[in-house]
Amino acid sequence: MGRWLDFESNPWGQEVLQGVSLELMYLAIGLAVLFVVGHLVWYRSRGFSEHEKTADIQGSVAGIPERIVRHTLPSRIFHWTMGASMLVLLITAFVPLLGLEFAWVTIHWIAGAVLILTIIYHVIHSILWQDFWSMMSFNVREAIGHFRHLLSSKSTEPEKPGKYPFDHRMYHQGIVVVSLAAIVTGVLMTLRIKTPFWEPNAYYPLVDQAISGLNELGEPAITVLPGEATGFVFVIHGIAGVALIVMVAAHIYFAIRPDKRYYLWGMIRGWIDRKQYLAHFDPDKWSVVDGTIQESPPGGAIADSTVSAPRVDD
Amino acid sequence: MAIIRDMIPAFELFQPTTVEDALALMAEHGEGGWVLAGGLDSYDWFKDRIKRPEAVIDLGGIDELKGIIDGQDGLEIGAMTTLTEIVRHERVRSEYILLADAAEHVATPQIRNQGTLGGNISQDTRCWYYRSGWACYRAGGNTCYAAAPQAMNREHAITGTSRCVAVNPSDTAPALVALDAKMTVRGRRSSNVYDAEDFFIGPATDITRMTVLEPGDLLTQIDIPSEWANAHFYYEKVRDRGSWDFQLVSVAAAFKTSGNTIDDARIAVNGVAPFPVRLDAVERLVKGAAVDEALAIEAGEIAIQGSRPLKHNEYKQPMMSNLVRRAVRSVA
Amino acid sequence: MAEKIIGTDIAPQDLVAKITGRAKYAEDFRADGMVFAKLLLSPMPHARVRGVDTTKALAMPGVIDILRADEVRQIEGRPGEASLTDEPLYEGQPILAVAAETEEQAAAAIEEIEVDFEPLPFVLDPLDSLRPNGPNAYTGGNRFGGGEFSELKWTDADFEEIEAGRMPNGEAAVEWTKGDIDTAFSESDLVLEESIVHQSLTHHPMETRSAMMYWENGKLHAFVSTQSAQRTKYAIAGTLNIDPEDVILVAEYCGGGFGSKISGNTHMEVPAVFSRKIGRPVMLRITRYEENYIGRARPGFQSWLKMGFLDDGTCNAIDLYIVQESGPFGAGDFNTAGMIADLVYTPQNMRFRGIAMYTNTPPKAAQRGPGGAQIVIMMEPILEKAARQLGLDRLEVHLKNAPDADVGFGPRNSTLTSVYAKEALEKGAEIFDWAGKQELSGRREGSKVTGIGIGLSPYTAGSRGYDGLMVIHPDGKLYVHQGLGNLGTHSIMDTARPAAEILNLNWDQVELVWGDSSRGMPRSSVQAGSQTTHAHSRANHAAGMDARAKVLEVAAQTLGGSPSNYDMDNGRVFRRGGGASMTFAQVAERAIELGGRYDGHELPDNIHATTVPAANMLAGQGLMGVARDNYGGSGGVYSWVAGFALVELDEETGVVDIKEYVAVTDCGTVLHPRSLGAQVLGGSIQGMGQAMTQRWVFDPKWGVPFANRLYTARPPGILDVPLDMKADAVGIPDPQTPVGAKGIGEPPVGAGGAAVTSAVADAMGGHCLCRTPLTPDIILAELEGLSQPFTLEQHIG
Ligand SMILES: Cc1cc2nc3c(=O)[nH]c(=O)nc-3n(C[C@H](O)[C@H](O)[C@H](O)COP(=O)(O)OP(=O)(O)OC[C@H]3O[C@@H](n4cnc5c(N)ncnc54)[C@H](O)[C@@H]3O)c2cc1C
Repeated sequence: MGRWLDFESNPWGQEVLQGVSLELMYLAIGLAVLFVVGHLVWYRSRGFSEHEKTADIQGSVAGIPERIVRHTLPSRIFHWTMGASMLVLLITAFVPLLGLEFAWVTIHWIAGAVLILTIIYHVIHSILWQDFWSMMSFNVREAIGHFRHLLSSKSTEPEKPGKYPFDHRMYHQGIVVVSLAAIVTGVLMTLRIKTPFWEPNAYYPLVDQAISGLNELGEPAITVLPGEATGFVFVIHGIAGVALIVMVAAHIYFAIRPDKRYYLWGMIRGWIDRKQYLAHFDPDKWSVVDGTIQESPPGGAIADSTVSAPRVDD
Repeated sequence: MAIIRDMIPAFELFQPTTVEDALALMAEHGEGGWVLAGGLDSYDWFKDRIKRPEAVIDLGGIDELKGIIDGQDGLEIGAMTTLTEIVRHERVRSEYILLADAAEHVATPQIRNQGTLGGNISQDTRCWYYRSGWACYRAGGNTCYAAAPQAMNREHAITGTSRCVAVNPSDTAPALVALDAKMTVRGRRSSNVYDAEDFFIGPATDITRMTVLEPGDLLTQIDIPSEWANAHFYYEKVRDRGSWDFQLVSVAAAFKTSGNTIDDARIAVNGVAPFPVRLDAVERLVKGAAVDEALAIEAGEIAIQGSRPLKHNEYKQPMMSNLVRRAVRSVA
Repeated sequence: MAEKIIGTDIAPQDLVAKITGRAKYAEDFRADGMVFAKLLLSPMPHARVRGVDTTKALAMPGVIDILRADEVRQIEGRPGEASLTDEPLYEGQPILAVAAETEEQAAAAIEEIEVDFEPLPFVLDPLDSLRPNGPNAYTGGNRFGGGEFSELKWTDADFEEIEAGRMPNGEAAVEWTKGDIDTAFSESDLVLEESIVHQSLTHHPMETRSAMMYWENGKLHAFVSTQSAQRTKYAIAGTLNIDPEDVILVAEYCGGGFGSKISGNTHMEVPAVFSRKIGRPVMLRITRYEENYIGRARPGFQSWLKMGFLDDGTCNAIDLYIVQESGPFGAGDFNTAGMIADLVYTPQNMRFRGIAMYTNTPPKAAQRGPGGAQIVIMMEPILEKAARQLGLDRLEVHLKNAPDADVGFGPRNSTLTSVYAKEALEKGAEIFDWAGKQELSGRREGSKVTGIGIGLSPYTAGSRGYDGLMVIHPDGKLYVHQGLGNLGTHSIMDTARPAAEILNLNWDQVELVWGDSSRGMPRSSVQAGSQTTHAHSRANHAAGMDARAKVLEVAAQTLGGSPSNYDMDNGRVFRRGGGASMTFAQVAERAIELGGRYDGHELPDNIHATTVPAANMLAGQGLMGVARDNYGGSGGVYSWVAGFALVELDEETGVVDIKEYVAVTDCGTVLHPRSLGAQVLGGSIQGMGQAMTQRWVFDPKWGVPFANRLYTARPPGILDVPLDMKADAVGIPDPQTPVGAKGIGEPPVGAGGAAVTSAVADAMGGHCLCRTPLTPDIILAELEGLSQPFTLEQHIG
């Protein structure tokens, strides 16, 4: 534990948590590399094709359009802005630690602010205008199938998914948790620096008050040592940060894998073609008939939201 | 661990006589090595036991780092030249009085006899919190204690901050920026020349250092180009006491003039940021302008644009503004 | 005829030793087997030690032992300082000490000691402690009285206007009134009201309070830095609860104390107890950093003042409230301040209220003019303002209000032996050319404005009833035994002058014996309160008279006739009108033969019990002069300094340049003009630093002071001192003391400081910033119309 966390004396000489150690960053970079290499090895060992599978279907099929809208323009703008800000955040956070010095703090917090804005937009947009449950659903059977496939060479391919496959959803949930942790702590950290919005304050008025927060008996009203609240914030931010290194690396790796290109195209052009659709998705779960995408949620909740305006091939 | 101050722990002392040997020793000891010039900043850290180098490399025996040479283009000042030598040097006094003036404002005669120009511009900040050994950003920690609403930040920065709000304490630094000095920095395998302006870095770039110097780097020489020789100079330092005190704000300016028109100018201010601040906007304003009180006032106003005080240092805005005003006014 | 000794410049005896470095200060002493001790200081402003782990430290090379709080004297049940403690009340309070063969080993061992501190609530600013629900300096409360702690809080209503900069004045702890202030104020033509803050500041004498001690054959040999020698011997004996005659005190030189080492200091106990514990000599060298914490400080004031004036400049009423920042163990400055306000401005109608609050800041103690210096520095700008508003000259206002010898001041209408304050003001005004300088007041050159100011500062300057002890040896010389300390004021030499003069000796026929209690020290005053010159010029006068009488008697007994037939000069006693004579050497030998009272085998019964052992020790060595000062007198002894300053204030930077300074003192007869000049100007400079630069810097969140070095504490440097400085004296002898001399150590501080605060107010057009120190940031913020970063806070950055 001590190896991954940094402790420092507070001004009163008490050892307090300070943040995560630099080694954790190297560990994350190592893990990211390991993951990619591991996946490559796994993939090869299972003899999967390096190329994208396609379905052999000719002509139009039961009202399924030639091009299927996967991500609308607003969604794509969101995704790429968010991605860009995330990359800027990671680069400004870690590159200086690797030794290339530049004035990173301002860029970092501005990128953070952009990230927050995109996320706020995304949350509102996905709740009000998107099929919320297409991303947020969880199905045990599906999960089991997935893990079987992962672990056993004898297992059959997992069932075709709806719009978002199981691993995407899990990744999404993971990144939600990690990013939120990074964002909340990041905002707390930004309170401590000079921005146009507020005066800096080294102390968190409500948290880090152990000094004046002593009770009448002189016992600390809260158990955080003076100066330590900051340390917790830094640790969470640090852990989230290094987790993001691994997660973002994995994300980019899958995005550029040849067998998953259709996702990348979907995020760049906004649509996938019918063959890709039929090869990779289950039309029952992701219905695109007449361009209206419908999906029955596993929990039976209402799911009639329209993802995009019908865009039938002309 | 309890704290003890005012007692220098033991270290290994090396006294090389050539730059090559010094560089080799520095490379050998890396982060554990410490370059010692006059020692006025160094010993302060040592005796407080906050910085504990394992090896101290004393530059005092390296003759090639000492003295002032009349170069092809201006002066070449060895990093180990004492401030007193600079103050007394004839050509510095006749052509670059700005530098002599600035050096003469450092602390006391005793400190100037011992302190070197290289050390003076490489010295660390005097922020109360940092110098008390608190684990602040600059010390590798996660807090700027001086940036709390109740913190003692009367001496701190009003501009150029980034997490850390400490100021550069050097009196000679702004003069060297105004004179467009060039700093030669040698490493084991490299030798770079920096403009004075780039030699000083802010916390945005590296929060733990004040200059480009990294462990293993040696500042060997400071060149003063003849470009600004005999310009009209202005230096002023405001401090709490008449001696033995760091600046609250200081200004160093060089003007090329014809009559009371400013043809060209370089103006730097210290004590307001973690590095000496060059005032480009003011320079642009005054270039080509005839000096009158209105121009001086405008210069002062422009100088502080974009600055933002902390709780206890709002006075630095008018102080800086007025010093810049006085610098410009001095041309008339 | 012997030279006239009183009133001449004579190089002090210790001069050569000091400038050649031969003078030995406490830390210059060494003893066989000596070890070094280092202190572990509390990192927190208030805490409790829950546990200490010394295992690692004790196992380190060279480490001998550790001394803990339970091994030294503790003061139970009331606020009181112990040399080591388990409940530190300020950051930097010593917790324990480590002894090791070398100082570096002791320091390294300290770093390996793990102390588990439990932080407790703390308070730095007295007003914070007075706020409802504000923190207390002690766990039991913020006040102590009647044997127990209690809590005193003011109400929210009291604090209502504090943000607007108005000093609250809630319930007071001390209050006295004279006259009727309400009626007086209603009759005043001008009433001024101000809230004023005076900072706390450290003493920082050049020599820190180092001490070396060892025990030899049951006797403690103590080498210390102290202001007063004989009294320190008794203080050490008292602390250790041993017979004073078992203490051999060596204190030959003292590099300044300013009130922080009056009879030594609390932490001398550490080497004493430690060396007894380990059986080896222990040297405790106090570093500048440690001195900052344990070396004492002047208490700060937060104050509210209302002053009424009549048209003619008469100050007819004063209402003064002082809240004092007292540190953990208290101080009395505020009471003195109330008295001095009454004394300087003689309002006839006065109310004084005050309260001293415990705080978790380094301990406070008397500092050169305690209370008096603060109050005149605070009040002088108000006088400037009043004079301006009344259209009067400040000098006139001062002369109108300054007291005469018949003054009765303070709650008990205290009286004084003599007052020549007006004479000092007039002489000072003449030397300074006050009338001519009026024209310069407010003169503007570029951004610089000139201001002139006056500071009138009285302070106690004498006490009575001490003993003189001297012996004429068979070498013919007079040996004057001084129990005083040698803290650089020269009083240890100069107070021997009356004896030399009475015996008509040349100064080179006088030897001074001081600094080593084994050589015999008479009962002496503490060297504080500027008593020494008065007290010991009297004591030595008395003993000199005793010696003179005995010399004459010995001559008469030996050569015939009666003593009145004899006179003496230049070390000889001779028969008037010619005839036989004896040298003092012969007199001394004869005195030994005669014995009895002549050589000290019989002593007067009115001398103090603590003089007796010293006199016994010297008995039989020659002709002894020994006597108690029985000259008597009524009223307090006060000296005065009138200071005049001319400053230039730069309105664009807030920097104040003190250009000229004149100080004239009423200290009675001048014993030593050059030394007097050094005291008057040196003290004035100290006051200028107090007014302009010196201060603490505390971080309020952690309760820790930062300005803990000499240069960060910012006493004035040589460039802060005006080039043009003059000192002079009124020179009228005090009628109640045989030599006519009064002390001078303290009053100059207030005069120097107040002349400058008054001059700054003048330069600002009659505006009182009402806060010291007047650093450029505060002045500039005011001139630029910025809000001041501090209002009534005691500690500023
Ligand atoms: C009480 C006091 C008051 C002072 N007041 C002032 C003041 O008013 N104005 C002011 O400007 N300064 C002031 N100083 C600072 C003092 O002038 C400088 O600290 C001093 O000039 C530093 O120079 P030095 O030669 O003593 O260097 P050192 O203390 O030996 O070195 C300073 C730093 O620079 C590094 N260094 C030195 N030379 C080189 C080199 N050639 N290459 C690479 N690194 C190097 C050292 O490793 C160290 O980190 C004051 C100092 C004190 C103690």
